[in-house]
Amino acid sequence: MMNSDRTPSYRPLIFVGLLLFAALFIYSSLNLKNIDYGYKKQDLLQHERDLREEIDRLQAEKSKLLNLERVERIAIDKLGFQYPDSTQIIPITEAGREK
Amino acid sequence: MKSNHCEKKRTFRLSIFFLLWVLFIVFSLVRIQVFEYGKYSAKIRSQTVRILNLHPKRGTIYDRNGDILAISIKTKSAFLSNKYPPASLNAFNRVSRLIAISDHQKINVRKRIRSGEKFIWVKRKLTDGEFFTLSGLSLSESEKGILNFIDEYRRVYPQGRTAAHVLGGVGIDEQALNGIEFGFDKTIRGMGGKVKALMDARRKIFQLKTIEDPVPGKSIYLTIDSALQFFCQCELDKAVRQLGAKGGAVIVMDCRDGSILAMANCPGYSPEEIAGTSPAVLKNKAIAFLYDPGSTFKLVLASAALENGVCRPEQEFNCFNGVFQVRDRTIYDVHPYDRLSFADIIVHSSNIGAAQIGEKLGAKRYYDVIRRFGFGTQTGIELPGEEYGILNPMKSWSDVSLAFLSFGYEISVTPIQMAKAFNVIASGGFSIEPRILKSVDRTSMPIRDKVRILSPDTVNQMVPILCEVVEKGTGKKAKIDGLRIAGKTGTTQKVKQGKYSSDHISSFGGFFPVESPRVTLFIMIDEPAVVYYGGDAAAPLFKSIAEKIVVSLNLFLPSFPGTGVGI
Repeated sequence: MMNSDRTPSYRPLIFVGLLLFAALFIYSSLNLKNIDYGYKKQDLLQHERDLREEIDRLQAEKSKLLNLERVERIAIDKLGFQYPDSTQIIPITEAGREK
Repeated sequence: MKSNHCEKKRTFRLSIFFLLWVLFIVFSLVRIQVFEYGKYSAKIRSQTVRILNLHPKRGTIYDRNGDILAISIKTKSAFLSNKYPPASLNAFNRVSRLIAISDHQKINVRKRIRSGEKFIWVKRKLTDGEFFTLSGLSLSESEKGILNFIDEYRRVYPQGRTAAHVLGGVGIDEQALNGIEFGFDKTIRGMGGKVKALMDARRKIFQLKTIEDPVPGKSIYLTIDSALQFFCQCELDKAVRQLGAKGGAVIVMDCRDGSILAMANCPGYSPEEIAGTSPAVLKNKAIAFLYDPGSTFKLVLASAALENGVCRPEQEFNCFNGVFQVRDRTIYDVHPYDRLSFADIIVHSSNIGAAQIGEKLGAKRYYDVIRRFGFGTQTGIELPGEEYGILNPMKSWSDVSLAFLSFGYEISVTPIQMAKAFNVIASGGFSIEPRILKSVDRTSMPIRDKVRILSPDTVNQMVPILCEVVEKGTGKKAKIDGLRIAGKTGTTQKVKQGKYSSDHISSFGGFFPVESPRVTLFIMIDEPAVVYYGGDAAAPLFKSIAEKIVVSLNLFLPSFPGTGVGI
């Protein structure tokens, strides 16, 4: 019993060491996690930017497809449409509408 | 007991070793992070931190209905990192076989490769197909890393040539060159920003820290109706072709607030090819073409005479059978008349009658009304390059100036000024500044104040006269069954090198439906060759455009509740 009492107590040292180790571990893992989230955030932001660009690209494409010059060309050249002659446009009077 | 003691000793030694190891790490961390912080942080910054400039995206331009007129989309540009010229030359030779590059550009790139320049553009703003082709190109080991791509914005004009003169265009670096793009560059361009990018060992960005927020360009909405604009452009192109004319301009304006619904020019151009377009073609004739207005200006004369009470519509004037002497100058009428009433002088466009009305009105009163109509100053439309027109001050008028001004000579105007003048009658006597900007980022622009410059009585007297012009006067070819139109023709000799030449300018201005005016339309045809009178060249174009407008804006039914005329 006397021997054991004289043996220097190393438990606090181990405790401090473990505490430091744990702190380091937590600090490093949090940092790594933070960096990992940074990558994910950048990927998501890039994805958002890409989607916005895609929307603009699609809108421009849609506008190009709806361009009246193109529509007219297709209507006349491919579908055989013709503009009506002025004699083919008949103004309808209110009296005519009632009949 | 002994073994227990040894065990404790070993544990103690291990703990000491462990503690020393931890202390070593802690010491190293403290050394690196505290004592040598400056040295290492500088080293890390130089390796992992990059300051990136963010280019702002140009705002989108929409028409009044939200259809896109101009938009910037991200595209790729190809460049060479010329570290080893022979390898760069090989890579470029392969690239130039795959995508279209002009011979001039090929020579230029090869020259720059040989001269050892480090950064060389191969082709900017690649099409999707070109980028797909180049990104799939397999380069040899020595050529790797030479061909690179960078993101850039490309300005796209989905409506093609429609509204080209209104929109203008931008250069290769999206620098504004003309039109709305130029006039509202500050608003559309936005402001660049800066970010600090933190990169890992593989140069991949894991964090962006904003230093300066980029401000994207604002989107703007124009008052233009792209469908109407297209119809006007088509009809104008057709008319110019048929008449063998040099060009022309069409302005469609909303009578109520001066909004420009369409502004077409001929010859036109594609805004995406603005760099190769000549300045003469780029000029927006609707706002920058100066010409003597001719008989369309009789609208101002008649308004001034009625407003000042010097004439009555039924008052008769001697028209001297088509030839009239003013000082040393002779004035002719196209059709000789003996006597004409004030109204018929306008309806049949008698220059002699107009000169006499001018004489009766007097220079001072006429000049005042001309100024009130806004001639000699810009109309205030939000487009760059608008001309002021030329109105000589009264003190520099000659003996014959008043007579010639009475039928639209000795004054230079722009088509937009004439459209504004016709709109005075259409709006019931108000001077309304034409406007082409509807809103910025959906914030509506304030409607400008109307200024009354003619009394309702004058307008009520003017409208039937202008209707008569279309019903039985010089503007008969503008008549549309079922729609009452008020208008005035104009034919004038073109000034070339300071002298009146044999070339003409035809014009026609008017508004409809007369019962409740919605649209003011002004047509100007430059140097028509086949026929040149306003009633023959410009009036038919007025009619064909008015027919489209009536259908497009559905002007028949709501405007004619009584008669209910429709198509």
